Amino acid sequence: MTGKRPIELGLLYSRSGGYSLLAEACRSGAAAAIAQVNADPSIDLAFLPVERDPGGDLDRYAPLCEDLLRNTGTRHILGCVTSSSRKEVIPVLEKLGGTLWYALPYEGFEASDHVVYTHACPNQHLLPLLDWALPAHGARAYLTGSNYIWGWEMNRLARERITATGGEVVGERCLPLGSTEVGRILEEIKATRPAFILNNLVGPSSYEFLARMHRLAATDPDFAPSRRPILSCNLTEAELPAIGPAAEGLVSAGPYFRGAAAGGFGSSPEAAAHAAVMELARLLNGRPGAEALALPALLDRVPGPGMIDRTTHHTALPVMIARVEGGIFRPVKTLPALPGDPYLARDRTPVAAPQLRVVS
Amino acid sequence: MRRAIRIQNLGGATAVILHRPHPTVQALERQLRAIGLQVSEAWPELGPVALAADFVFFDADTGHDEQFPWAPGQSPMPMVALIGSEAPGRIEWALRAGAHAQLLKPVGDNGAYSALLIARDAFDAQRALTVEISDLRRRLDERQTVVRAVTLLAARGARDDAAAYAQLRQMAMAWRVSFEDAAARVVAMLTAAPEEARDDRG
Repeated sequence: MTGKRPIELGLLYSRSGGYSLLAEACRSGAAAAIAQVNADPSIDLAFLPVERDPGGDLDRYAPLCEDLLRNTGTRHILGCVTSSSRKEVIPVLEKLGGTLWYALPYEGFEASDHVVYTHACPNQHLLPLLDWALPAHGARAYLTGSNYIWGWEMNRLARERITATGGEVVGERCLPLGSTEVGRILEEIKATRPAFILNNLVGPSSYEFLARMHRLAATDPDFAPSRRPILSCNLTEAELPAIGPAAEGLVSAGPYFRGAAAGGFGSSPEAAAHAAVMELARLLNGRPGAEALALPALLDRVPGPGMIDRTTHHTALPVMIARVEGGIFRPVKTLPALPGDPYLARDRTPVAAPQLRVVS
Repeated sequence: MRRAIRIQNLGGATAVILHRPHPTVQALERQLRAIGLQVSEAWPELGPVALAADFVFFDADTGHDEQFPWAPGQSPMPMVALIGSEAPGRIEWALRAGAHAQLLKPVGDNGAYSALLIARDAFDAQRALTVEISDLRRRLDERQTVVRAVTLLAARGARDDAAAYAQLRQMAMAWRVSFEDAAARVVAMLTAAPEEARDDRG
């Protein structure tokens, strides 16, 4: 590392708790990128990771973020899995002038001056997924999700899109984070027989729901995933080991799936965390002291187009819709890179198909 | 309609903050106490004590209807939404829950005072309009009673409808009741004793 400027890089991921698999995926993407940067003689800096682990406790994110920014040399932090935790650290970033690099899909309606969003928002996951599913599988949807901003907002947006295009939401139920009481959701799905199910549950709730749906499909082929698929925007390879054989037939939307695009990453959060570190290295390379700049000033310092949109701090990402077959995501549809549009300001809802009825 | 806002009387007012324990609650409490309010915290729901509060601050990020001891939008006091996520679904819920004003999280050193005044003004305006609308609605419903009373008075000897109308107005003033109430009394009197009325006319 001789001749390289040492730059501390914060990592704020929960290594325990319900969503630790996603956190580990981000950590390994970051670790690979850090090793790559540090070994690259053409980059004049070396990242020194400084880790804090909130242990899945929402109330520990803000104090640990403050600890990183006050007590270490860290200005840039990779971290947070849930939107709730991201919203907890933003006030600290504002107060102390730090930048968060966020590498997971989220529900949109945010564009902080202190955050870079390197994974997808709804115009890059949910809306293309619904636009594919509604004509392919039918317009009767069941919505489920975890009781926090991700589940609520994804379901709200899905309902808006489905009803605007002439479809119907036959049921909707949310579970508290971490709850595995999925019985009532299954009863409702059995009773309503929806054309597809949108699953916005996270962690153990999702694992239990998918296991029960798998058992249901085994006893009643009418609920096989090929007939009534279960769709998600947050399912990646990182969680397949926890889901096991119940993952077969699940459909997910994301910017990357293992083996389906270049890069050799294990999952899209890993790819998004890797991209974040590489982009930060590019922005800082050859600019001593630039690591202390606030994000807008840093982006101004570097000429030419980069991966970060200067207005929204989101990134342009391809959209892939993929189905798990034999334990591997196989793309069923791929769209070219779309810019992130967090407030859906550029979105045009497809016009509802006229509903023709025989008048008797 | 322009009304002067009520600026005084915040001293000694009571506020309940419905939010999980959080630095935002401490910051808000500090502001409210400095303004002169008495503050208490509630979580995960408002107890019956909240019914007596002058203001309620509630968390819009994790809130749900069951936390309130009243129907959505029917709070008996001004309500201020504490908004962290500016997601449309949450804003929609906060509006339906009956937010009269909002305060963005994190709450720092200011914002509570204007939220209190704006919430109270919006609450007062909403209540005044509700009273006015129900009064107008009642009067609309009683138009038929007025018509019947005027017809009955005209048949009973008034020169014409205009004179009967004037007579009804004078009765209302003499009885110190509303025009519609006077009409209801006239209808009750003249239909309860139809013979008498006919005799008078004859």
